[in-house]
Order: sequence, then C-alpha cells, then structure tokens
Amino acid sequence: MSRIAPLLLLLLLFFSVPVFAEEQDFSLEEDPFAEPETAKIADPLEPVNRGMFWVNDKLYVYLLKPVAKGLRVIPEPARVSTSNFFSNLGTPARAANNLLQLKFTNTAGELARFLVNSTFGLAGLFDPATKWGLEKKDEDLGQTFGHYGIGQGFYLVLPVLGPTSLRDGVGRIGDHFVDPLPPALKTEELAGLRVLDAENAISLDKDTYEGIRENELDPYLFVRDAYTQMRAGKVRK
Amino acid sequence: MGLHWMTKYRLFLLVGGFLLVAGVALATPGPLEQARTTVDAVMAILRESNLEKEARREKLSTTIRARFDFSEMSQRILATNWKSASEAQRDSFIRIFSDLLERNYIGRIESYTDEKIDFLKERVQGNRAAVDTVIVTKSAEIPISYRMVQQGSEWMVYDVVIESVSFVNNYRNSYGEILKKEGFDGLLARMTEKLAQLEQGGDPSQP
Repeated sequence: MSRIAPLLLLLLLFFSVPVFAEEQDFSLEEDPFAEPETAKIADPLEPVNRGMFWVNDKLYVYLLKPVAKGLRVIPEPARVSTSNFFSNLGTPARAANNLLQLKFTNTAGELARFLVNSTFGLAGLFDPATKWGLEKKDEDLGQTFGHYGIGQGFYLVLPVLGPTSLRDGVGRIGDHFVDPLPPALKTEELAGLRVLDAENAISLDKDTYEGIRENELDPYLFVRDAYTQMRAGKVRK
Repeated sequence: MGLHWMTKYRLFLLVGGFLLVAGVALATPGPLEQARTTVDAVMAILRESNLEKEARREKLSTTIRARFDFSEMSQRILATNWKSASEAQRDSFIRIFSDLLERNYIGRIESYTDEKIDFLKERVQGNRAAVDTVIVTKSAEIPISYRMVQQGSEWMVYDVVIESVSFVNNYRNSYGEILKKEGFDGLLARMTEKLAQLEQGGDPSQP
C-alpha cells in the first residue's frame, strides 16, 4: 500500500477537476422528487470502451452465462449461502470505508454483522444479522472518494470486470488491500474463488443484462448511464 | 337570541364543505394504494397461466396504460428536444416509446412474479408523490420507487427509479446521445425498427 499510495493520490488530484460540465438545464415543472441531474460521465475513450463492451458481451453470452445457467441446478438456498459467504468476507472493505466516511454507526454495524454472521450464521453462510435489523451498509473506496467530492473522472469498461470509472477503478485497487482473501491464498486459488463468486452472482440474477441487450436501442449508452446513476446514488447514501 | 340566518347558512356551508372534503379524501385512495392496485393487477395477470399470449398482452397493456402517463414521461425524456420537435414527431415518439417501455417494464417485472413486493411508504408534496417499494428476493432487496403526478383523482406514474437509476434520466441521456448524432427522425427510425424486431418475437440478440 505504501508504494502505491502516492500514485493514487496523484491520480486523484489530477482527476478531481470536473471534466464534464452540465450543458443543459431543463425542468418541465418543479419536481420535488427529481433525481439530481449531475449523474453524467465523460467518455473520452468511447471507441475503446465500446470495443471492450463488445468483447465482454460475447464473453457473457457465450461463456459466463451458460456456466451460470449450469449452476442453477444447484438449489437456490445453497447459492444464496455462497453469496452470503463472499459478502461476509467483504466486511473489512465495507467497515473501513464507512469509517473513512466517518459513518461510525455503520462501521460498528458492519463489525457486529461480521461477528453475528461468522458465528450464528455459520462462517457467513447465513445472514441472521439482517433479520435482526442489522442491515449491510455497502461502501467501497470509490464511494469514499465520491463522498469527499471527487468526481468519476471518466468512464472505463474493463475486460471481464465490466463498467467502472477512473475513480471507482482506482477504488477497487485500494479495496483489494483490505480483502482478507489475497494474503491467505495462492493466485490461482484466488482467481478460482473470484470466478465462483461472479458465476454464482450471475446465476442468482434475473437476466438483467439480457433484458437490456434485447430492449435497448444502444445497450452501451444505457449501461453507461445506469452505472453512472447507480454509483451517484450510492455516494449520496 | 339565535344566530342570524345568514351566519347559520354560512356555518352550514362550512361544515358541509368540510364533510365533503373529508369524504372525498377518505374515498380516494392515495398514490401508494393506487400504485399497489396496479402492480398487484399486473402480477395477477402475469401469474395467470391459462391466458393466451395476445389476450395477456392486451390485459397488461390496459392495466399499465391506466396508471402510466407516457406523455409526461416522453416530455421529460426529450427535455429540450421536445420543444423543437413537431407535433407529429411528438405523437410518434409517445406512441412508439410507450410500446417499448411497456414491453420493457413487463419483461423486468415478469422475472419477479414469485417474489414479495413491499409497499413501504408514500411521500406527497403538492400534486407530486413518490411511492417507495422494495422487491425482496432471497439474495437481495431491490428498491423501486414510483414517481407520480396527480391528475384529478388519479395518480399517474411518470418515472420509475430502480436502485437510484431513474428510467427518465436513463432514457434522456442514452436517447439524447442518439438524438445528437442522428436527429429526431433518426431516433424515431431506430425505435420503430426495435419495436418491429421485438414484435416479431424473434430475439436477435440470443446466440
């Protein structure tokens, strides 16, 4: 972490300047419930991103999804438990980022969840904490950056991992350092678990991406905007 | 010394008026109840297994169109482009977009027919309301908020916000890009093509 920290800081300073200015301001009628209009993202790498989106699309349709469909023969409760297990291991990152945002109650909540779910929840396979009113408080380093006013920078589509932004991508690298799995495992074991986690998540998902690629005029634009809005929403929370 | 007849009359009107207002308020379901009725009706139709495909589409369409204000939605999506569009362009947009969105909405909600939908709360400000719901699946909770505008006694949906992603904003931005590059008629042509594709039932995107 110590070697990479100055680099991260430099990148952040560089990109904290808003790259994209709001060009239109339109309101039909005063709407007290309108979502903030700021959720837009610059996309200077669009041609490259579109290429990567195309590759990921094929990867998803021809490899990841068929495997996930295969996983669906496993009863859903078992897959939900798998998802709970990985989610429980995400506690350090969530707790750290709640702390960095000075959300002390949430930090304590995350730690309490970890204790409850690791014991009564049988090593995280079950999630009794949520039933007891201790809900997961999802935070990551990208959101922490956002919380302190750092913009998305620009949109990025990563191979396999999919949509992200400069800010959130850097955040992912940062969160990696508090992940309990990497130090404990060999690289190939780690990769195997990551694939399992992802495939399991796709198997639980209700074909969201299929809906988008079937219905939308331009799935790339739709996903880019949905990602931007979703992340802006998470930062506001 | 009784009250002057005029005062009595006014009092009578006032009390009568109060009762009338209270009565209407009690009789008219609020935005949350209206949204719930529609969502329940849609779910019920989706669960009916013996319905023929065309009849089902028809019933769903009627139910959804009674609760969604596609005209307001279209204006919000097109934003500044709405002002510069001709009457005919606006009408075509509303017509094609409502068909597309209807399919999209049905397709999305269809995957959740076995899940529980909780109607959490309504927030009303003047003639606008937000109705917060959550779909509780075994592995996740998906917050869905309906934005509604009052028209007479009816509350009409003009935006659906799923996990902070607003339909209207999403389409405004993605359609906006297409509008910028291909113009209004270009956008309409692409929408028509997409609708035809979907109506053929063929799913071109499947491997």
